[in-house]
Parts: sequence; C-alpha cells; structure tokens
Amino acid sequence: MTGRILILLLCVAASVATAADWPMWGRDASRNMAATDISLPDTFKPGPINYNTEEIDQAKSVNIRWIFKLGSQSYGNPTIADGRVFFGTNNESPRMAAHKGDRGIVMCLDEKTGDFLWQLTTPKLGAGKVSDWEYLGICSSPAVSGNRVYVVTNRCEVVCMDVEGLANGNQGVQDEGSYMAGPGKPAMAIGEQDADIIWAFDMRSELGVFPHNIASSSVLVAGNRLYVTTSNGQDWSHVNIPAPQAPCLIVLERDTGKLIGEEASGISKRLFHCNWSSPAHGTFGDRQLVVFGAGDGFCYGFDPQPVKEDGLDILPEAWRFDCNPAAYRTGEDGNPVKYASAGKGPSEVIATPVIYNKRVYVATGQDPEHGQGVGALSCIDATGSGDISKSGIVWQYTDLHRSISTVAIADGLVYAADYTGRLHCLDADSGKAYWVHDTASNVWSSPLVADGKVFVGNEDGYLTVLATGKKKKKLAEIDFYAPLYASPVAANDTLYIATQSHLFAVGN
Amino acid sequence: MKSTALFVLIGFICGSCGDRKTDPVVEPQPGQATSLDGKTTGWHNWRGPGQMGASAATGLVDSWTVGGENHRWTYDLPGRGTPVIDRGRVYAWGYRGEGRDQQEILACLNAVTGKKIWEVSFTDFISDIIYNRYSIGSPTVDPDTGNIYLMTSPGLFVALDTAGNILWQHSMMEEFGRLTFPNGRTGSPVIDGELVIVRGITAFWGKQGPGRDRFYAFDKSSGSLVWASAPGVRPTDSSFSTPVFADRAGKRVFYAGTGCGNIVCVDARTGAPLSRFQLLRGGVNSSVLLYKDMVIAIHGKENLDTTEIGRMVAVRMDRMPGPDDKTPLVFGPEAEVWRNKLGIFTSSPVLVDRRVYQTTHTGELACVNADTGEILWSRKLSNSQLHASPLYADGKLYVPMKDGTFYILRPSDAGAEELAKVELEGTCLGAPAVWSGKIFVHTTKKIYCFGRENGTSGVPPAKPPADVAAGNPVRLRPIPAELMLRPGEEVVMQLQALDADGRVVEQDIAAAASWEKFIPPAAKVKIKLNATPKDGNIIRADEINAPSAGMFKVTGGGLQGTTRGRILPVPPYSEDFEGYKLTVPHKQETDVNFAYPPLPWIGARFKWEVRERDGSKVLAKTLDRLLFQRAMTFIGHPHSTNYTMTADVMTDGNRRVMSTVGLVHQRYIIALKGNWQQLEVSSNHDRLKVAVPFKWKADTWYTMKTRVDVDEGGAGVIRAKAWARGTEEPADWTIEVPHARAHGQGSPGLFGFSPQSQKRVYVDNISVTPN
Repeated sequence: MTGRILILLLCVAASVATAADWPMWGRDASRNMAATDISLPDTFKPGPINYNTEEIDQAKSVNIRWIFKLGSQSYGNPTIADGRVFFGTNNESPRMAAHKGDRGIVMCLDEKTGDFLWQLTTPKLGAGKVSDWEYLGICSSPAVSGNRVYVVTNRCEVVCMDVEGLANGNQGVQDEGSYMAGPGKPAMAIGEQDADIIWAFDMRSELGVFPHNIASSSVLVAGNRLYVTTSNGQDWSHVNIPAPQAPCLIVLERDTGKLIGEEASGISKRLFHCNWSSPAHGTFGDRQLVVFGAGDGFCYGFDPQPVKEDGLDILPEAWRFDCNPAAYRTGEDGNPVKYASAGKGPSEVIATPVIYNKRVYVATGQDPEHGQGVGALSCIDATGSGDISKSGIVWQYTDLHRSISTVAIADGLVYAADYTGRLHCLDADSGKAYWVHDTASNVWSSPLVADGKVFVGNEDGYLTVLATGKKKKKLAEIDFYAPLYASPVAANDTLYIATQSHLFAVGN
Repeated sequence: MKSTALFVLIGFICGSCGDRKTDPVVEPQPGQATSLDGKTTGWHNWRGPGQMGASAATGLVDSWTVGGENHRWTYDLPGRGTPVIDRGRVYAWGYRGEGRDQQEILACLNAVTGKKIWEVSFTDFISDIIYNRYSIGSPTVDPDTGNIYLMTSPGLFVALDTAGNILWQHSMMEEFGRLTFPNGRTGSPVIDGELVIVRGITAFWGKQGPGRDRFYAFDKSSGSLVWASAPGVRPTDSSFSTPVFADRAGKRVFYAGTGCGNIVCVDARTGAPLSRFQLLRGGVNSSVLLYKDMVIAIHGKENLDTTEIGRMVAVRMDRMPGPDDKTPLVFGPEAEVWRNKLGIFTSSPVLVDRRVYQTTHTGELACVNADTGEILWSRKLSNSQLHASPLYADGKLYVPMKDGTFYILRPSDAGAEELAKVELEGTCLGAPAVWSGKIFVHTTKKIYCFGRENGTSGVPPAKPPADVAAGNPVRLRPIPAELMLRPGEEVVMQLQALDADGRVVEQDIAAAASWEKFIPPAAKVKIKLNATPKDGNIIRADEINAPSAGMFKVTGGGLQGTTRGRILPVPPYSEDFEGYKLTVPHKQETDVNFAYPPLPWIGARFKWEVRERDGSKVLAKTLDRLLFQRAMTFIGHPHSTNYTMTADVMTDGNRRVMSTVGLVHQRYIIALKGNWQQLEVSSNHDRLKVAVPFKWKADTWYTMKTRVDVDEGGAGVIRAKAWARGTEEPADWTIEVPHARAHGQGSPGLFGFSPQSQKRVYVDNISVTPN
C-alpha cells in the first residue's frame, strides 16, 4: 500500500508542466480528449495552398500562428510541454540532409515559433508491411515527463530522449549514430539537431514481440513507471500469432528503461489483429488501475504493482470487460462470427479507454483497412473484480460503428466519433444519444473538446467545429487540404491541427 | 506446339483444382453472339474492347431497381471483379463457402437469363489471402476461340474451353515462385494475338531469383512459356494493373503500372522492357489510359517530388529505344505533361473522348480534361472507394462504390446528373460490364444484371494489331522459355525466328540447330543443366535423378537464342548438404562461410544458406534481412503426388522466443511451431489449420515425417509425426487431418519462419520417397 501512495505522489509530481500544456496522449493519464480551460479563436482557416510547392500562404491564413511542414503521413498527435511541441511523422520532407529516405521521425519544435529544434530519426525495420509498413512514420504520441520525452518507434522500441536534444550535451546512450544508421551499417555522424537518446528498450528482442503493421501506442507515464502497449499481433495470414507468449502491456522503469512488469492474462493468444491501444491510469475508489483496451476486444484493469510469478514480474489482473456485445461474437446459429467480416463481427479496442468520474469509456474498432462495421461504445463501472462483462456495464451504445477514436467527455456529455465519419453526442451517465453529425468521410482521429467547442477531423481534410451541448450546432467546416488522421489537441490557448503533411498552430 | 503434349500430360494429376459441375446447357438466344462481320463479340476483358472502361453501346437504361424496374436477373455468387461476356455467356469469378469448404468459382451463365451453364471450382492452397479477399480480378475470354483464361488467387493459371474443360494450367506459385499477399489483388490475364499474359511478384531461381514484378507470356493454345519480363526495379508492393496494348513505331507494346511504382512499356511480342517512368515509391495498381501520345495514370501513395499522397498524371512515353539504346529508356520528370491532385490506389480511370472519369479514395467521382489535367468537377458519391471502377456507355456513367451503392449518372462538363442510385447487397469492388442492352455488376454477394432484354452489343470487333510484314530475322526464340523436366523426360523445342520488332518471321524452324549449355558470366552458382540436346531440336533430361538448373544457347542460320530450365528429381531423392563447399564469406557475420542453396530450388537463394552446425553441413534460415523472415521454398516437381517426406529440423530459441520450421507437402504446410508448442497442418491458414500440442525444445534436432493420401474421390488425410532425432520413431502419427477436398498434387518444399529474424531454424537430411 505504501508503494501505491508513493506512485500517486510521483504521479502528481510528474505533472510539472504548466496546467495548460498537453504533455501526453489524452493530455493526462485519464486520456480524456478535453481541454475545457483553454481559450481559442472563434474563427480560423489556412491560407490557400500551392499544390506544386505544398506551401500554404501564411499571410492569408486567419488566426494561424505558424505552419510547420511535416512528412507525407502523420498519425501521431502533437504533445506540448514546457515550450516545446513534439510530433511523430515520416521523413518525406527531410529536415536533415544526412537522413534521406523512409524513416520514422519525431520532431521537436519551439512552441511559440514553430521553429525546428531537433528530431529523432529511426530507420525502418525492413520487414515490409507486416511489421513496419512503408511511410507510416512514428505513430506514437510522445509523452513528456520532466526533461524526458518517451515514444514508441516504428522499430517497436520504447525510446527515452532528452527534451533538450543535444543542446545540453549527450547523455545516456552515446552511439546515436549507430542507432540512426540501423543494424549492420556504419555509424552515422551525430549532428546538433539529432535526438539525444537516453535509453531504448527493444520490445522485439527483449520480449519476442511481433508488431503488426506498425508499433503504435503512446506511453503512459505514471510516477516512476512507464506503461506501454507492445503492438504484438498477427502475421501476414492474420490467423497466426507468431508470439503468443509475448505480453501486450509492459511496465518499464521510467529512468532506466528496465522491464519491471508485464501482463500475463494470455491476451496475445486471443488477438484478433494486434494491440494498438494505449493504456490509461486512474483511481477507482481505493485502488489505482492501469486500464488497457486490448486486441482481444476486452478492456482490462490491472493493478499497477507487479508481483512475482514463475520468475516473471506480472501485473495482477483486477478485472476484464468484454467490449463486444455477445451478438457480435456469436451468430444466431450459435457459431462464432468471423472477425473482419464485412460489416459485422467482433472487434478489438484501438481507441484509448478514457477515465471520467471513476468510469471507463471505450469504443471497439478495427484497422480502417477492414472497412466499416458494427461497433460499441461501453461505459464501464471499473470498481468490480474478475470478469465484469455483465456486472460492470453501465451502458453500451451500439449505434456507433467501428471506431478507432478516443472519446472526449465534458460537462457530462460524451463526444464519440466512428469510422463512418459520424460524431455522436451522448449522455455520460445514461448513454442516451442527443445528436449525431455525419462529416461524410471516414474519421480516424479523435474529437477534441476545448473552449466550448468540439473539433473533429476527417479523411477529406475537413475539420468540423460544433458547439458543445445537447443540441447540435455546427459552427464551421474548415478545409485543411489533406486527410486529418491525427487528432486535434489544445494547449496554452493554441489549437494544434495536423494533416498528413502540415501542422497548424491555431491561435489569436 | 510440340511441347504441348508433354505439358498437358503432366498437368492433369491435380485432383483438387478445376472441379467442374455442369447443369443442363442453356444456350443463349440466337442472333446475339455474333456481330455483323461474323466476329464473335462480347465484353471479353474487364476493361472492355478498347481497354479504356468505355463502350459504344446505345439504348441502355437510365434507371433500375433491385427486384423491380429493368432488373433482369441475379445470381448468388460473391465476387470482387468484373464479369466478362462472350457469345451470350457470362463468365464470372467468385467464391463460395466458408472455412476449408470455401472454393473459388468460375461460373458460366446464360447472359440473357442468368441461368447457370457450368461452374468450375478451385481450392486455395498455402496462399497469404486473408479475410475472404478472393476473386479480386476477372477471367478473360479469347475472342478467337472463346476459351477462358483465369488466374486464381493462389496463382493457378488455367485455360478452359467453353465447356469448362481445363485445357492447360500452371501453378504459378510452384512453377515460377509467384508470391501471394494478404491483399488478394490478383487481376486479369490479357490476350494479344497468340499470347496470354499474366503477372505477379515472383522470386524464382537464378537471374529470376530476386523478387520482381514480372510478366509472363504464354502461348494461349499450348500453355508454353514464350517470355518472362521484369521491366521494373525492386518492388515495394504487388500490382494488378492490367497491361494496355498499343502499336508504337512498329512494335506491339503494352503499358502497365508496377509494384515498384513505375509505369512500364514492354514489348508485347518479346517481353523486352522498353521504357519506364517512376511515378512514385509504392505500387501502381490502377490500369492506365492511353490518350494521344500520353499515358494517363493514377496512384494513391507517396509521390517522389512532393509529400502529397496520390496523384493523377499524364506522361509522354511513346518514344521507343533507338538502335544505340542498350538499356530501356528511363523517362524523367520532363516526360510529365500534366498532373492533378486526384488519388486512389486501385480504382481505374475511364476515358471518353477528351474526358477522364475517376473515382477517388475519398469516394468522389471526378471529371478531368485529358489534355490539361484540369479537374472540371468532382462529386461526392460515398465516404470512400477501393477497387471499383466506373463504366461509360450510352452517354452515362455506371459507377459502383465500395459501400454497395450503384449510381447511374449523366456526365457533362458542368457536372453529373444523377439518374439512378441503387443500393446493392454487398460491397462493389469491380467494374460493371455491358453487353446487348444489359449491364452486369458483381458484388460480394451477387451478380446483378439489369437493362433490356435485347440491345445492340455496342462492341466493335476487336481491332487487329497493325498488320505489317515481318522483316529480316535477327534472333531465335526457343519455346518454352522455361523448361521443367524430370530425368528422362524430353521436350521438343519450338524454334521461332524473330525480326527486330519481335514479329515472328518463321514459326517453327525445323532445320537442325546447334544447342549448347552455357553459364551466364554473372551467375553466382556455376552449374549446368543435366540435359542433352538431340536431333530435331529436342532437349532431353539426363537420367540422373538429381536437381540441376541452367541455360541452353541455340544457334542456327547465323541466329542465336537462349532458354533456361530446371531438372527436378523424382522420388526417391535426398539431400544431406555434405557435398557442399562452404566458400562464400558471410557479409554480416565474421568468420562464417556458407554455400548457396541448390540452384533449382524456388525462392531459396536469399532465404536459406548451407552452413555448418554441430559438425554437419545443414540448411540454415538466413536472418540478415527481415523481409525474408519467412521462407517457403519448393524443391521438387509441382505435379508430385503420393510421396513421403522426412527431414531433421531444429530451431534456436530461448524462454520467450522460438521459431517455426517444417515441410511443404503436396500444398500443405506441416510445421513445428516453437512459440505455440504445436505441430500444425495448414493450407492457407484461413481455410485449413489444424494443430496438436507438441512439446519441443530449442537447440534440439527433431525428425519430421509427413505423408498425404488422397482417395479416388478426392478426399484425403494429411499425416505427420515428429520425434527427437536419434530416438525411436513413434509408431503412430502425431497428427492426422482429414480433408474432404484434398490437394492431389504439389511440390515438396521447406518452410521456415523466424519471427522478426531472431531465432534461426535449420533443416537437414531431407528425403522424399514414393509411397
């Protein structure tokens, strides 16, 4: 128990960034995509784009402070802490002459000016699509804690970096040049704008993880621990899991990257596809839990304190909740419904569970490549134990289709997007739907609630702005020229909108 | 032609592919099968007679409703391609069933009534197809004969007559190392003159060992390989872009997108790569349009010179290599005439006069000025689009969308008037076809036909290639271009003389020619084919029951040509690798020498190497390239049947990670799975996958024995056992898997999978013996 109190204290201590920062995916460990204490401009829009040069006319933009050119694909989401913006993308707009070709990139920018400060450059695995799909870049949203930033790379590593880059000297790992070159290749020269890697934990070699398509999760910092999803998944066949014994969720020591815990609930043997969800952390009554939406379609609550079992440090499972209604898993004929069936069948969890008022809100979904299909948004009472699939259900909303979007909750209202492009506004207590808005194009990103508005971006490149509240009121639909796969976030009175190729800092 | 007999003779052992079910023949209505000039007419390939997705048909309907107005018939067959039509018959490719009972189906229907005439079914084997992504492509009909050509998803390339009898077939996977992918994109054969051409990513042997996007042209009558061509560079994706033919400067050429991001121009008569234009870094899957002197293409991935995703371009690449060009032309940015920002990965454009119609990734239909690239308008039809493509006919666009919505629109330069919007059952992934007043569209549930009972075919007779007299012969072409013989077998080579533009000057040179074995200077493994030329242009495999591979050079009348081939042993045969000299220094590992694996083995070169382990020479899985973490290597003849395999296998490993190693036996993978502690039988994991617990350890040799027995009815049992090497063989089989539609033949092979290239697997003492 003493340990738990310590963790709680450290949790608070770790949140030293200014209150209006957005230092990790979901802003804080609750992962709620809401920033209600922020003031944003009423109107904004980017200036015209020149498709040949890809330049957007800043002078003709409205209320856009700066625009930063990203690569060609950007799925990670910005994090903002202590005057810096961190963002994952690919290397299709190379910032550094030494690094050409397909790479995973994390960029660090100056928050006020958008000036480039330094970048992490991660070579591809060379696995092809199965484990490190071409041009996906780094999909993880960096997590900042103190003077360290943590990210999961396309090589399925957890990397800890110095937020200042090499400006304050090279600490920790000294051979970044070997890292950037990749295994078996001569080390590259380390430039001033390269990342300062403190440590790296390779989940493939250390745990036997087989990442599916891309390693994609965002690190949860809780006290002196990091909770990380491994992205373990299927191979090409999609019905063969090469690493059934590898964990889906691990715990690392924050300062050293040492493995200090892992789940052992057998999730990897039951995976539909893989694990791309990110963990959340919260307090439920008198216990803390790490909440994890898994690749088997269950949401799990784990005691954050590992215990020794068979020589391994195991996270005790507090509860599990099946996010799929029974009818999704079993057909009327009594047989299991096949996964990834057109329009039907069970799904995994890709969205991040959100903790709000001691409840967990999470939707089911699948890789967008699998298309549209039935989904469910569950509100879970997380105070139970064991299999709480029945006992823990507060409500379940099945008018939501497959979704990979994390919900935003504010003032008792849940804003949830699904892949078909619809945004749903529900009552957080009852699950009652107040309104649904169709954005007319697929939605991969998560809605954001900030400054009395809800923002959601779609594949057509349109950011839809609606007023928060029980009555639907569309305020604007703004063309950002390229698909909006990354989620909008808000920090320090600035809204960050990332398309595949540009990052916009929106503010007065 | 002379080699046909041999290929047909050895091609008909297959018991699990090509099951034909015929209903009483329902003949089409008279008067609809032929055009005025007596030529057969129809919608012979998925892109239509001009390969541009457009038809000259008139009198088509403006609207229809499912089960109501203008709806003629529906046929229950899930599919993902385009039905083709010939002589009043529809040929459609689909699939039926679930699990191990699922099969791909080639259906022949009466085009007027939708009644079944026959169906031929094919079983998947060891492909990577997932999620029922079957039948992504179409059959193609030869207008001359009515014969039908189809490549199934696992790569069984079949030619059928109009009664559904299989004329010849090639297992492209087992004969040419064609790879399959989870995306299932397979495409359609194309026919030009006497050739039928298919494509795929292949990793074969020798010079064709490295994985490349290759085209293969077969004699459409005999099935003999005429040429193979790799016009691109190293691919990053697969492609099913359909070759589009044209006449250029005396040559017959085709243009196609490739998995390496190029638009290529290939000499259709010889397979010689003529030029290429690198459009992007990913694959080009959409089919191209030929407009004036331009190629119009679209893609949906990374561009080379901007970070936008997707682009439509027009590229001027009509120039042919001149006499001084020793390598294919590589067109640079100067060849681009225009570009616009439309993008999609697999849907193909339609060309009508000076307008291009294209559906995009985000579900829009756009109209483009073909001269300038200007987007005249775009209209949102759905929230997304995948493979489906529009059809233009009778002033209307027939547009299927991924979500099953089917539009009829009347386009103009100002926009598109919606005439009809119909919700179909299932997902649309193909293009519609048109014939005799009717439109045909296939969904993942059904084939729909709507329109009028009768109508004009609207299909002009196929325009014959420019008929220019052949010039002087400049080289010989031996056919087949790839030999596959067993000891003692022989093949009569067809010897053609070709002119400088690839035209056949002489079809079958009977005169004696001189044949000699030769080793290309760049060959890494310098061995010769165990075969001997005989009078009459016959090549006979020697009576040595051992694998060999190599080339022959033929000289006659002052002309030369080459062919290549493999000799594959018949059971019993074995390999213990002790005869190999480990002389090649390893690039990644110091103090390690290895030997290349046997040259005739398919897909082996970069995935296996002969090393020393425990004092013995063994076959070891390579770990230096993660791309090759899995190896499936065929070591024998694809028509092998009724044999037993044994081999010793081992994996490196630790508490967390072991690898998978096993055998390929008659189209089943039978493997020890380290991380699951299982012995598993599979043949496409989604179709047949049965495992039993089997405790085994790393760093320990095990012996595996496998056997497949198939009865006369086609049912079979796959059996396997494994035991620690050196201990007594268990009397019972460890696993026995009954399979109602068992694979009746298939090449012996090896399987190794080192997840993330971490733990090496080994194979030794392989033996294949007759039952």
